[in-house]
Amino acid sequence: MNVLVVSLSLSLSLCLLVCLFLTSTAAEPWPETATLYQPLKEDQILLSDCASSLAVQAYLRMCGLPVQVAYRANAEYMSPSGKIPFIHVGNQVVSELGPIVQFTKAKGHSLSDGLDDIQRAEMKAYMELVNNMLLTAELYIQWCDDATAAEISRPRYSSPYSWPLSNILAYQKQWEVRRKMNAIGWGGKTLEQVYEDVSQCCQALSQRLGTQPFFFNKQPTELDALVFGHLFTILTTRLTSTELAERIKSYSNLLSFCRRIEQTYFEDKTS
Amino acid sequence: MLGRRLGFAFSPHRVSDSSGNRHKVCDTDTFEAYAKFSGAKVTVSPIDWTWKTLTATVPELLCGDSAVQEATQILNFLRKQRFNADYELTARQGADTMAYIALLEEKLRPALLHTFWVDAENYANLTRPWFASRSPFPLNFLVPSRLANIALSRILLTKGEAPLHRITEVEGKIYSDAKECLNLLSYRLGTADYFFGNSPTSLDAFVFGFVAPLYKASLPSSPLQSHLKQLDNVTRFCDNVLAVYFSSDHPCPTPPVQETMDANLQKLTQLVNKESNLIEKMDDNLRSSPQHKPHRPEPKPSLASDKSSTPA
Repeated sequence: MNVLVVSLSLSLSLCLLVCLFLTSTAAEPWPETATLYQPLKEDQILLSDCASSLAVQAYLRMCGLPVQVAYRANAEYMSPSGKIPFIHVGNQVVSELGPIVQFTKAKGHSLSDGLDDIQRAEMKAYMELVNNMLLTAELYIQWCDDATAAEISRPRYSSPYSWPLSNILAYQKQWEVRRKMNAIGWGGKTLEQVYEDVSQCCQALSQRLGTQPFFFNKQPTELDALVFGHLFTILTTRLTSTELAERIKSYSNLLSFCRRIEQTYFEDKTS
Repeated sequence: MLGRRLGFAFSPHRVSDSSGNRHKVCDTDTFEAYAKFSGAKVTVSPIDWTWKTLTATVPELLCGDSAVQEATQILNFLRKQRFNADYELTARQGADTMAYIALLEEKLRPALLHTFWVDAENYANLTRPWFASRSPFPLNFLVPSRLANIALSRILLTKGEAPLHRITEVEGKIYSDAKECLNLLSYRLGTADYFFGNSPTSLDAFVFGFVAPLYKASLPSSPLQSHLKQLDNVTRFCDNVLAVYFSSDHPCPTPPVQETMDANLQKLTQLVNKESNLIEKMDDNLRSSPQHKPHRPEPKPSLASDKSSTPA
């Protein structure tokens, strides 16, 4: 009997130890050296990548987690999922907003803890709306609109590489995106239809935001970071036509939402 | 089998639904459910158009001279023709509808495609025989595998992380996404009958179109199906829609077309009804109050309202 009790207590303490160890690795503090990687800011990065990267930066700033931004010409090939951006924290590398949100949550930093189940469902739904509409529209305009692809996307995308390779990589990327567009049924769309989709998406976001400061009232969430990343990038990027930005400018509450987040989370750091 | 095809005899519209092409199973069901919710009279004709639909898309709505394709576009078309199930929604709810439809497209569709077309056991035992039985001779060998290839490449292109990735690396991710999506729908639905209160809307049609095939198909292997069956409120929702809108006993229980076309009038009558109820209640109170004799046969409402002001 005694032996049993002893062994039981031993195994219990062992369990405790293991648990402690696990939580300590998960709750390892956020290091000062955390780095976010993205393509070269001035002459390589494209609209969609820039939007995703800005969304992650906004999210990390909302969480109050410091991160240095590093610019690498081969960021796309460094990323574990082949997507921009990715962060390097301690000995871990995580890419894209969704996994990064989960990663920070495991470290004890979360913006959506205050929401109930229904609100969280709503937040996820709107995030998918942004990914499904805005991100796809950005990709479409970059690579499927011939004028934009020839004047902006291909030259910028291939800027770090020399002649034969630059063409090969740019056309390969374009082919890849076009295949994806065909698979989801966007291949047959005209530019006008895409702008119309963007308008509808913005209208839905504008309705949802209403007069609140953030999508879920007082507290910013990852949805706010994602919407900000996309809208702000579209508003501030010069393309062959200003139509895309014009569509967003007709929703005044979205504009003031972008300005508010920029002032709260970005301006005080730079000044 | 799901999506029993019902025909309404005197109908101006006709829908061609190639049952040989089950690839668009979700879209067809979404559309049918929506048409029923909004009270539009539609004939669904399961024509075997395999030859034609090798390149075309289903479902297709033929109305007069115009043909409309794809679920979302058909829904827009019906809306323009004033068959609208979303009259009662606020703008905010309309925005929510868009968001949840995007959620379904992004999170649930890849897993559904995988379940029906890529999962080897389901494909060999259910999907392939089902399709082959509906296609004419030389095509029954080609069509299923062609559709399976389309489904596979769609999953890889939209969810695969790098080009040339293998499907096994993506499977875990798409199934956990889909389970999360079902959970979110379950939270959102709660204990209500439909997503926005008591009457069905286009969001209900979309959810039904995505979830019902998964719920009703007899799949030999599906972790997603067993997960769905644990979510009581979602399965109840499916059963409810099937019983109310798709059973042959009461073919069209939706409100008649005129009523849906004039929702404002409906609201007005509701208001009037409520008011008359109120008046009746006041009347009852008056009758039960001591200064009135209870046996008085029929007090006039005007009289009653006059008197109700005096004792107070």
